Amino acid sequence: MSLMDSLAAGFSLVGNFEAFFMLFIGLVVGVVAGAIPGLSATMAVALTLPFTFSMTPINAILLLLGVYKGGIFGGSIPAILIKTPGTPASSATILDGHPMAERGEAGRALGMALYASCTADAVSNLALILFAGWLASFALNFGPPEFFALILFSLTIIAGVSGESLLRGALSALAGLLLATIGLDLVYGTNRFTFGDPNMMGGLNFIAVLIGLFAIPEIIAMAWNPVAHLGRTRALGKSRCSFADYAKSFKSIIRGSMIGVFLGSIPGIGAAPSAFLSYSEARRTSKNKANFGKGEIEGVAASEAGNNGVAGATLIPLLALGVPGDVITAIIIGAFMVHGLQPGPMMFVLNVDIIYGLFIGLIVSSVFLLVVGSVAIRGFKFVADGPKRILMPGVLVLCIYGVFAVNNNIFDVGVMFVMGWVGYIMMRNRIPAAPFLIAFILGPLLEDNFRQSMLMSGSDPSILFRGPITWFFWVLTAITVFAITRSTLRKRVPLS
Amino acid sequence: MSQKSLHLRLGIVASLFALFLVLYAIPTFVFAPSNVGNIILSPKFWPYVLAGLTAIIGVALLFNALTAASDVPFEDEETVHPEGSTPWMRLGALAVIMVLVMFGLPRLGMVWTAMLAFAACAFLFRTRHPIAALVCAVIVPLLLYAFFAHVAGVAIPQGNFVRLP
Repeated sequence: MSLMDSLAAGFSLVGNFEAFFMLFIGLVVGVVAGAIPGLSATMAVALTLPFTFSMTPINAILLLLGVYKGGIFGGSIPAILIKTPGTPASSATILDGHPMAERGEAGRALGMALYASCTADAVSNLALILFAGWLASFALNFGPPEFFALILFSLTIIAGVSGESLLRGALSALAGLLLATIGLDLVYGTNRFTFGDPNMMGGLNFIAVLIGLFAIPEIIAMAWNPVAHLGRTRALGKSRCSFADYAKSFKSIIRGSMIGVFLGSIPGIGAAPSAFLSYSEARRTSKNKANFGKGEIEGVAASEAGNNGVAGATLIPLLALGVPGDVITAIIIGAFMVHGLQPGPMMFVLNVDIIYGLFIGLIVSSVFLLVVGSVAIRGFKFVADGPKRILMPGVLVLCIYGVFAVNNNIFDVGVMFVMGWVGYIMMRNRIPAAPFLIAFILGPLLEDNFRQSMLMSGSDPSILFRGPITWFFWVLTAITVFAITRSTLRKRVPLS
Repeated sequence: MSQKSLHLRLGIVASLFALFLVLYAIPTFVFAPSNVGNIILSPKFWPYVLAGLTAIIGVALLFNALTAASDVPFEDEETVHPEGSTPWMRLGALAVIMVLVMFGLPRLGMVWTAMLAFAACAFLFRTRHPIAALVCAVIVPLLLYAFFAHVAGVAIPQGNFVRLP
């Protein structure tokens, strides 16, 4: 199929009011959820997922991608106005955004955050369109040993960089892998940890686990401290972001977007490190270096470009390899599966219309974000002042309905509650939840590819090192473990 | 809490859990056909590998804790005690609400159980808007019922008492 044919097929799917409306609604939901401290973009995507069951796959995924992109931008609004990042990725935005708000320039900071976010989002989408197809055509050569090595590498890096500690991240990933073994064995069909309960024979429901891990702990945290969310909201002020401000920061925005694209395309790194790296690069190279941290608009631009540059790029490994780049794309992979689609290289062959439909939708999403973001900045006061102690019970009820709707099974609601407490205990013990969830998704794939490799080779483990692609991923895994261990050891021994 | 004490605690839990898996859980709850000759292809192989890795991480956490030079608390540790003196009681009450939801769903139906759970949670969280909370407790479950039952076609549990259209 030629490029024009693929584009035409994509247009035939998304060239209707409903698809763009879903994308728009997704952005609105994402921006509002991202703007409410305590309701992260991850939680918003997870809670939106059950509403997509009755939709067509393309509308469902556009809605979720809208929530994702809106949520990442929305997080910058409370970061600037109340010094509380709506998402972890917005932490870097606080550094200069909040001092600007304290000076009465919140409107200017938010305007720059919006323009930088939209620019970075467009760059990231372009990277996705350019690289995903190329990577997928390369990945068509992968067999079970190559996929095993790739997934192992992805899990290593996710466990290593998504928390404060490699060991705690690895523990989290192992717990996710263990939970994924529940159910019938993939080859022999025998019971594994099912305790004779038929509900557990198909394994634990992915959506129950993810909503349990990412939404319920926030509700439990509110029971622990019902006033933790209270803060002081700054006014927008009179100054606005001008074209001169944008032009002055343009270099930092493009650099931040590139950093976001690069880090986003590596599974597991995510938006927060990208935002901080972009910020530190902007500070290093800026003429106004001394103003960084005191309310420099270029700092806001760099950190927002860094975190939004990730949004499209995390879809590169998702669409091309079937490996989620971060926890939100892990949820989106679940949405693909719910709708009978399996992301990965074969999707570029079998569902090229959906792939190109998504690309078209993503390009439009940058424009929609500009519109929704402009309104959201002005309306934030109403969102921020909404009573969180009424919102959280609403989230609980939504979780109950949403999780039940997946399989019409009350057992799944119980799984969600149990996973909620597990997630809360992990939160209190500073164990990151992202490796757990991603390992839970990738666990069956990892085991399946390992056992297929062993069946192919007659149980000869040397098949796992059979060619340059497997060597490449093994070397990357070794380098990752070495680098993370080295940095951990350096932290333990302070240099004098 | 410091990283040292956290890793000590996690290391002990991970090591004990790995032992529990290897000595009891895997032999008891993972079934392998008797004709599987090669251990690598057995359904028990992967759980044993994961249990072994858990043990290694547990030992590494213990080593990390025991050899750590300093015992400095985490910078962002919660220092102020949460509102009121009963955070543990609120956690317990929320757990009870969750258990009651599980009992209520098949008996009262999802809508009525959700209404009660909403109201109970709002009061547990000490809302400053009790009237609004009660109104939301009625409206939100009804709206969700309307969407899931009539738009998404989900068979929402109706319970044994009052049935909705």
